[in-house]
Amino acid sequence: MTNTQRFLLFVIRYSSFVISVKSMARKTITTEAQSSPRLAVDIAGVRFKNPVLTASGTFAYGLEFAHLMDLNSIGGIVVKGISMKPIKGNPPPRICETSSGMLNAIGWQNIGAIEFVTKKLPGLRKYATNVVVNIVGFDLNDYLEVARFLNDCPGIAALELNISCPNVKKGGFHFNKDPRDAAHITAETKKASSRLPLWVKLSPNVTDIREFARACEEAGADALSVINTFVGMAIDVEKRHPKLRYVTGGLSGPAIKPIALRMVWETSRAVNIPVIGVGGISTTEDALEFLIAGARAVQVGTANFYNPAASEQIALGLQEYCRSRHIEDISEIIGSLRI
Amino acid sequence: MLDKKVRVKEIQDLGARNYLLTLRSPEQARLTQPGQFVMLKCVENLSDPPLLRRPFSIFDIHRQSRSGKPAGLVILVKDVGTGSHRLAHLRPGQEIYSLGPQGRPFQVSAEMRNRVGVACLVAGGVGIAALYLLAQSLLLQNVKPILFYGGGGTPDLVLRDYFERLGIESSYSTEDGSLGERGLVTLPLERFLRGHRRPDLRIYACGPWGMMKAAHDLAVQYQVPCEVSLEARMGCSLGACMGCVIHGWDEHGKEEYLRVCQEGPIMSSRMVDWDTSPF
Repeated sequence: MTNTQRFLLFVIRYSSFVISVKSMARKTITTEAQSSPRLAVDIAGVRFKNPVLTASGTFAYGLEFAHLMDLNSIGGIVVKGISMKPIKGNPPPRICETSSGMLNAIGWQNIGAIEFVTKKLPGLRKYATNVVVNIVGFDLNDYLEVARFLNDCPGIAALELNISCPNVKKGGFHFNKDPRDAAHITAETKKASSRLPLWVKLSPNVTDIREFARACEEAGADALSVINTFVGMAIDVEKRHPKLRYVTGGLSGPAIKPIALRMVWETSRAVNIPVIGVGGISTTEDALEFLIAGARAVQVGTANFYNPAASEQIALGLQEYCRSRHIEDISEIIGSLRI
Repeated sequence: MLDKKVRVKEIQDLGARNYLLTLRSPEQARLTQPGQFVMLKCVENLSDPPLLRRPFSIFDIHRQSRSGKPAGLVILVKDVGTGSHRLAHLRPGQEIYSLGPQGRPFQVSAEMRNRVGVACLVAGGVGIAALYLLAQSLLLQNVKPILFYGGGGTPDLVLRDYFERLGIESSYSTEDGSLGERGLVTLPLERFLRGHRRPDLRIYACGPWGMMKAAHDLAVQYQVPCEVSLEARMGCSLGACMGCVIHGWDEHGKEEYLRVCQEGPIMSSRMVDWDTSPF
């Protein structure tokens, strides 16, 4: 055999080796794709490709994050609270950082339902993810008006009734004083937007969240988002001024996660409708804790501010968690807490 | 806008708790326009506290010494709080999170070449950070920048040499009289405006709220267009948290809370309600 022949033989053997390695790799990928864990969840008849959503007020109208993450990678986007008419919001300063969290008192600044539907929703609908619209109002009629309007708009997967924002002087928070008030607004909104599933976002600033959860369930809520922010405050000791112009604000971020988790656990045992866990979720482990505690899905909130791709990373993290532990369906995890 | 983990190339102590940080980030450097900012966070993992990134003006573009290609960002950091303290104590080689460049830049265009003669750059203390790239950009458009730079004392007037090296005429003022004229920076500015009543002037200001308000009042009095670089506590810089607002009027004159991260940080001074401080 001449050197040239030896060389040719080597090339042939080498290339066939490369081809076989490549095809093996392809096979591995195919096999893995076949055994991909199922992450999809059903919430009130709506399918979410995975249980990771973004929380209202932390993800704007979604499109603002499109250049920093893949919006198609998450189950859904809960957009910023929308009222029928635009709302200007509270005077600044509106936010301040606290230990492992932040306070905000934005006061529902938003562009109004008409501008949302005409300018934001069409762009958002191009993505393969569900759009849930959080609705706000200063009195019952405000809520019903925006619910009626959105009920007729295509491209919306569900409404999230925000009766738990602590940062407006009237409306919203008022419905947290008595479970009967929460039930009343839930029932009325459900009538006004009968086409869409209705999620109710509950406040943690109550003695027993289960009473509110049960009242909303009986009134026709299709799911519950648990929880909104805790009322808190911070003071500038030099000026002796509150750090927020509104004086108090809603506390969010990792600081509230253990309490949110406890409330999700309590709520999911008290009702039969799905509970969506919200409160300080910033990692895959956080999300898993909520799912194990009984949440059907989770919403990532404050983490979006300092890590715009947090929700995508958590969705990927859940997939990896399931795959590495041979969990075929995410439902095996949901509510699997062992005590 | 890019979300990057970038390496610290150099950190220089400028005195009076001021530090000049050079970050290696060619892609972000290439995109930067005068007046824009980056959000920095100096932690191991993004979910570690302090949670929120902090906004910083981009002072300069660091360039490769041979090719002159953009290689990084130069940031002026004043050590005033938890976030900035961490940044000020970084060491070369360490990595930090950098999101940007972002925000509405100064409006410098080729049209200015024949219409604008002199630009008054008004800086208060670390407000100088927003004006150096602008000065370079104005020089390229054949506009003459004049720097009015004020602070408490000499140590507050950092990075003067950068402007001097560009041959920019500078007027310094200090409250303790240790450098230049004693008093506020708006005194020499007013004298200049009074002595140069011409239609081709512009004012660009960055500094404390009171200084920018005074610059705006002079701009109105002498009918000179004025842009300011605003600062605010920022949650996300993406227009999502609605936390960084100031009270003012949008370009159509409609009363509104304007987001410093989106409608700013550079705004026409006429858009700002100077009687309602956001602090």
